[in-house]
Amino acid sequence: MGEHERHVYDVVVIGAGGAGLRAAIEARQRGMRTAVICKSLFGKAHTVMAEGGIAAAMANVNSHDDWQVHFRDTMRGGKFLNSWRMAQLHAQEAPQRVWELEAWGALFDRTPDGRISQRNFGGHEYPRLAHVGDRTGLELIRTLQQRIVALQQEDFRQHGDYEARLRVFAECTITELLKDGPRVAGAFGYWRESGRFVVFEAPAVILATGGIGKSYKVTSNSWEYTGDGHALALLAGGSLVNMEFVQFHPTGMVWPPSVKGILVTESVRGDGGVLRNSEGKRFMFDYVPDVFRAKYAETEEEADRWYADPDSNRRPPELLPRDEVARAINSEVKEGRGSPHGGVLLDVSSRLPADVIRRKLPSMYHQFKELADVDITAEPMEVGPTCHYVMGGVEVDPDTEGAVGVPGLFAAGEVAGGMHGSNRLGGNSLSDLLVFGRRAGLAAAAWVESLAGDSPAVAADDVTAAERTALAPFRDGTADNPYAVHQELQQTMNDLVGIIRRAGEMEEALDRLERLRKRAAEVAVEGHRQFNPGWHLALDLRNMLLVSECVARAALQREESRGGHTREDFPKASAQWRRWNLVCRLDATGQVSVDRKPLASMPPELLGLFERKELASYLAEDELAGLPEQPTGGGPR
Amino acid sequence: MDITLKIRRFDPENDTEPHWEAYGVTVLPTDRVLDALHKVKWEVDGSLTFRRSCAHGVCGSDAMRINGRNRLACKTLIKDVNPDKPITVEAIKGLPLQKDLVVDMEPFFDAYRDVMPFLITRGNEPTRERLQSSKDRERFDDTTKCILCAACTTSCPVYWVDGQYFGPAAIVNAHRFIFDSRDEGAQQRLEILNEREGVWRCRTTFNCTEACPRGIEITKAIQEVKRALLTRAV
Ligand SMILES: Cc1cc2nc3c(=O)[nH]c(=O)nc-3n(C[C@H](O)[C@H](O)[C@H](O)COP(=O)(O)OP(=O)(O)OC[C@H]3O[C@@H](n4cnc5c(N)ncnc54)[C@H](O)[C@@H]3O)c2cc1C
Ligand code: FES
Repeated sequence: MGEHERHVYDVVVIGAGGAGLRAAIEARQRGMRTAVICKSLFGKAHTVMAEGGIAAAMANVNSHDDWQVHFRDTMRGGKFLNSWRMAQLHAQEAPQRVWELEAWGALFDRTPDGRISQRNFGGHEYPRLAHVGDRTGLELIRTLQQRIVALQQEDFRQHGDYEARLRVFAECTITELLKDGPRVAGAFGYWRESGRFVVFEAPAVILATGGIGKSYKVTSNSWEYTGDGHALALLAGGSLVNMEFVQFHPTGMVWPPSVKGILVTESVRGDGGVLRNSEGKRFMFDYVPDVFRAKYAETEEEADRWYADPDSNRRPPELLPRDEVARAINSEVKEGRGSPHGGVLLDVSSRLPADVIRRKLPSMYHQFKELADVDITAEPMEVGPTCHYVMGGVEVDPDTEGAVGVPGLFAAGEVAGGMHGSNRLGGNSLSDLLVFGRRAGLAAAAWVESLAGDSPAVAADDVTAAERTALAPFRDGTADNPYAVHQELQQTMNDLVGIIRRAGEMEEALDRLERLRKRAAEVAVEGHRQFNPGWHLALDLRNMLLVSECVARAALQREESRGGHTREDFPKASAQWRRWNLVCRLDATGQVSVDRKPLASMPPELLGLFERKELASYLAEDELAGLPEQPTGGGPR
Repeated sequence: MDITLKIRRFDPENDTEPHWEAYGVTVLPTDRVLDALHKVKWEVDGSLTFRRSCAHGVCGSDAMRINGRNRLACKTLIKDVNPDKPITVEAIKGLPLQKDLVVDMEPFFDAYRDVMPFLITRGNEPTRERLQSSKDRERFDDTTKCILCAACTTSCPVYWVDGQYFGPAAIVNAHRFIFDSRDEGAQQRLEILNEREGVWRCRTTFNCTEACPRGIEITKAIQEVKRALLTRAV
């Protein structure tokens, strides 16, 4: 093994988005020497892009809100496939996490009496999203970054060293997790600038690497989203759950081509924007599924009254959960009622005065003005679905975020699975990051303490092997260039494992992925290790291909439609399939295997939050038979 | 349309000095400079190095000098930068060049950390949120939009010649707290900005305000800090 830069920490956090930073703060506050590693510069993680807000039942705007209602909305949004325990913890703890963020200095829009204001969002019964205009993610990241700077200055006063207990390793990519027997022992990676290798030794590693969107051609996601954490967990012996569920956000930009996929925030609809087809019709009224019918307006008049008087009117169908809206747009376009560039029209200009639009949606106003030459205060936007979020992720223990099967490994944020079931509600990610980021930091600290010095050790052979793998793309020959392989991968996932899926196409996708995998293994890059983007991509390809295969295999296996997984050949949700999670692992030969695993059943007091009639639309006959006629309980409602 | 990008390249392993290189690419007028750079990287020279992340102007990774002006490559449309002539692209000035369009951002972040960019309060943390009126919140709204891209600081002629000067971005981030009604550390921060390399270096050239991709009125914020220093009232 060559001589490598080495660092020894108690807790290593991979990822500096909302989840990673919150985890690192917690671990450091529990006395752990903590490292945070990220691919981009500190403060620039994907989370900065979040616009709409953080969901938390603080009841500042509608006093009827509480955690039970939030829990119920989350389960409905996820079509009852969520880990009920994660959904419960999330709903219970989110308000505390938002208040804490405020105490650390975060800016929020305020109610007239000075409390944190909350806005409406799809699938949330009450106005629930705490927000700062449409730059909530930026403020969240900045506040956590500031908190870290504050802790480092505290450490400087105490230890004479800013980085005594908390250090950020920016522009550093982890390519391998290191183990000692079954336990995690550290991580291996390279500095993007110098290309030099670096070894981290730590008994606890928290994955907070975000999602997988860069495997799709049309996506709202940043370049960081190559599924690294998902792949690292798999390769380390962990498992991934819910990988078939990929969220296509209904409203991405569709024109001009260079910005196709960039997000148009759901707040546009929350604040009054409506969707129309080429005939000018508000088509969403035709797409309200039975399970949601009681909650959504049937006429435009009622829908319009709801903004001012939500207590005596039902909400507009534009605010259905994202999967419903994305499918509806898809159908309209397919049936020939799309906009000129293959989307539909999202209109706020005829709904709100220009100055209100500019004040409430400043980023959207500028985004369209600058990138598309469209003035959204005067004309509608053209929008269509874009790959936005992966519900699937590392299978974890709901309370500790410990990765199933790999002691010492934890996962939080978008890289973790379970919380959102088959579909995530808007705003529920930022709250997820804070709730489970903190929990992962706590549990990692507890794990390190429980070892009482019996720390795992990094094996020299493993480091040598990791180094060999990382250097492999510097091979001779005229093999493929990594950009070409990446583009084909994106096209494949977009065309064959996209919003609407068919068995034949997914089989075709698996064939192509297999071929791409072979090509990726032969990819050759030029130049040196110093800041070499071709090399970086060549290494990311392994992860994207592995994760894409999980998505395709699980999607092929799940023969029903639910949330972020729609099968043309199995268009209905099946109560039998609801009982199963699909879990992906790597077998001894390195092949992806997909197994069924029963979902944990929800305790009666939580079931009691739903009417039996509603439960009947999700659960199977025999599950219902076991329930009391009208379950009661569920605490104060 | 066919355009020419003239990119100032630098490879620290082989070059002693940066040099200009021209690349022809075919783009749409509505493409962004970032798209054109990607084309060069994907199709012509895979070693071209630049930072980018979100690709729509929120993360602040891709500030660069385009036709001599600091901008975000992801928010600059080709049609707006006179594409009939070669478009010049180079790294931002005043920070150490690492490779091609990538500079060392550490000195920039050092200045940011020096102004204590975090809420300072005394007393116990509240159990719920602190109250803040919409008016008090509006007071510093503008400076919370900063994405730390360094476009302002590296457009400042004072910063170019005096690496000690905090630079506009750090002052903007100090402003963000000095004028936050919840914060109690204003005097400490003002003290820091009163020092030799502090706000008095600013010669009000307005370069920073012009360069800011977020439209923050930076010069005004700096003036407000100066005034607060003179009156010791915020
Ligand atoms: C445009 C947009 C708007 C959104 N709006 C909202 C919203 O309003 N409300 C909401 O709740 N959600 C929203 N979301 C979703 C939400 O922003 C994300 O799900 C969330 O930010 C993910 O955060 P994270 O902490 O899991 O990861 P991220 O913030 O993505 O951070 C991942 C980190 O991991 C690092 N990393 C990755 N791989 C490696 C590696 N191999 N080595 C080292 N580091 C690595 C990255 O550099 C980065 O620092 C939005 C998403 C998008 C794209
Ligand atoms: S890439 Fe994020 S600001 Fe341009």
